[in-house]
Amino acid sequence: MSDFRAERLRAARAKIAVLETDGRPDAGTLPFGDPRIDGCLPGGGLPLGRWHEVCGEGLEVETAAAPAAFTALLVAPLARRGEVVWVLRRDDLWAPGLVGLGFPPERLIQVCARDEAEALSVMEDALATVGVAAVVGEVEAADLTAGRRLQLACEKQRATGFLIRRRPYGGTARREATGSAAATRWRVASAPSEPPAAAFGLGDPRFRVALERCRGGRTGAWLMQADGAYSQEMTDVAHPLRLVAELGDRQLAPAQPLRLAG
Amino acid sequence: MRRLSAVSETASRLGLSVGQKATDAMALVPELTTAEAEPEADATALTALGDWCVRFSPAVAIDAPDGLFLDVTGVDHLWGGEAALLEDIRRRLAANGLPFRAAIADTPGAAWALAHYGEDGAIAPPGGQGPLLAPLRPAALRFDQETWAQIERLGLRQAGQLMAIPRGPFARRFGRGALLRLDQALGREAEALEFRRPPTPWFARLAFAEPISEPEDLARVAFDVAAKLCARLEAENQGARRFEIAFHRLDGKTLPLQVGLTLPGRDARRIAKLFAPKLETVDPGFGIEVVTITAEDVEPISSRQARLDTAREATVEEGLAPLVDRLVNRLGEDRVWRAAPVESHVPELAVGRARPLSKSMDGAKPKDKPRPWDPTAPRPARLFRRPEPVDMVLAITPDDPPSQFRWRGQVHRVRRAEGPERIGEEWWKAAIEDADTRHVRDYYRVEDAEGARFWLFRAGLYGDPAAPPQWWLHGVFG
Repeated sequence: MSDFRAERLRAARAKIAVLETDGRPDAGTLPFGDPRIDGCLPGGGLPLGRWHEVCGEGLEVETAAAPAAFTALLVAPLARRGEVVWVLRRDDLWAPGLVGLGFPPERLIQVCARDEAEALSVMEDALATVGVAAVVGEVEAADLTAGRRLQLACEKQRATGFLIRRRPYGGTARREATGSAAATRWRVASAPSEPPAAAFGLGDPRFRVALERCRGGRTGAWLMQADGAYSQEMTDVAHPLRLVAELGDRQLAPAQPLRLAG
Repeated sequence: MRRLSAVSETASRLGLSVGQKATDAMALVPELTTAEAEPEADATALTALGDWCVRFSPAVAIDAPDGLFLDVTGVDHLWGGEAALLEDIRRRLAANGLPFRAAIADTPGAAWALAHYGEDGAIAPPGGQGPLLAPLRPAALRFDQETWAQIERLGLRQAGQLMAIPRGPFARRFGRGALLRLDQALGREAEALEFRRPPTPWFARLAFAEPISEPEDLARVAFDVAAKLCARLEAENQGARRFEIAFHRLDGKTLPLQVGLTLPGRDARRIAKLFAPKLETVDPGFGIEVVTITAEDVEPISSRQARLDTAREATVEEGLAPLVDRLVNRLGEDRVWRAAPVESHVPELAVGRARPLSKSMDGAKPKDKPRPWDPTAPRPARLFRRPEPVDMVLAITPDDPPSQFRWRGQVHRVRRAEGPERIGEEWWKAAIEDADTRHVRDYYRVEDAEGARFWLFRAGLYGDPAAPPQWWLHGVFG
């Protein structure tokens, strides 16, 4: 009986997938290389040819440094397939900082848009362009219409979009959009690093990552580490993010359980 | 010995002249104010003025040290005659507060003579420069020093007296060079000018029987004229990077629009599309009678065969280049860039902006390329354009990293820290007396209790009571 149910479920999922991708071949996924996180994602990895939301929290809502670093780490493997267009509202993204995270700066095209609508339309335009592997946009929010348009643009050339939610300096918080066309939503914050016992200074950068929404998958929260950041080996690894520990599901774990990570 | 290289109008009224010894001049006019001559700055200013004059004529030649030649052949009708053109030039120059003299004549030589020694604003009628030149001093004919001295010695005081000398004896006495100068002034001999922007041969023009003003018409003629030029480019296997369309209005005004391409191209449809959003800025007034297009940065491109296999991976020409063109033409050139390494230790100077897809990135020789950024040096993902001040900084000993700091009203307790990385001033780039220990920065990478990573620096050194060190936050690692 349970076999029968599973069979039915799988068939229904495949049907929905066909409907969602409009009958096009799947753009594939980008696995993290750890079953604990890939198992939550549909298809066993970060779905490509879709767009993903990345948010920060606390002070990071305005600076969005951890989301930017996390996104750069996610995009780094994609940057080997094509150009990456990064659409900014404030031009404070600093290329030398991305090099240490394994991101090839010669693949990066930076665009500074004048307002929110322009940033979204530049993202759309770039996503629909041949030769662009990924587009990262820093905007405050994308409503349902804008999200749907981004999704359509992603499907044209199967490029992957990343939307970093970032509030303008001094701006007031806008109401969270209820729905979203994004495939996934990640909430990213820096986590204390754990250098090896004898080492001096900081360890490899760590992030508290919560997968808050995931179409066709499950949510989760993890502690991740960018192994070998700021070293020569960074560009050689398959995926620059390594899962260090699983955190409580559906919520960002407070500081306490982090000790387990050490 | 110091001499006057230029004098103002007031000074010349007081009896000072160019070439006078500075000491003599000071004796004559004790309250004289002098400034150092800057020939390079003058040359730059003259070049800038030459570029500005392109509004009057596309052919502008620079006559160092203080002159400009404009070839106004065939452009004066846009103003309604030479007199109106000269009037417009004079009005605009005067509005900019520039002292000047101007003249129009058939030949560069005659125009030079009239502008320097004749009546200001003189316009020689076609072929009639002779009588106007006759009363001028012989120096007006641009002779070299030797010839000029000989003419002075012979007591010839007017150019007309020289013109009266038969050619044979003239050449024998003063040399062929002098005769050439005379012939050039009178139009008997051609003179080549070195124009600053050579008129491009890549030029197409459409004139209309009836002036047009409808926006749809503008879009249509923009495409038509682009197609005309692109057909020529195609025939000669060339492509261009920059196109300029000029709409010439009935009232003589010209409204130019420019678009740039990342890679040289000649697709009229694409070029017209880039112009389309800019057309609404064109005010047709009473109508547009002529539209011209010029192509610049023309270089050979190979024509590519249309792909049979469209599923294959597309090339840069099809995807990225049009995207970059669209963005650059819509947002402006300074809003689309690729970060390029600049060899500088100062963080804010280490990133330059290169045009995306520009050839200089991959075409340059390895030794000319600046060294890429060092991936092993931890650098923040976000760098603030201006470092932000932090206060309430606690550091145990002067050279220790801070154990606490306050930024944007929030106190951060430092859990781990790395540093210092001392970044000094690039003192060799400025005057040595401007260098200061206050410009030395000690950078620390610190992590607070929540895990947020910051790039802090301390400007200045301890031990200077007049300038205590100051702490700044320069970037966030995330």
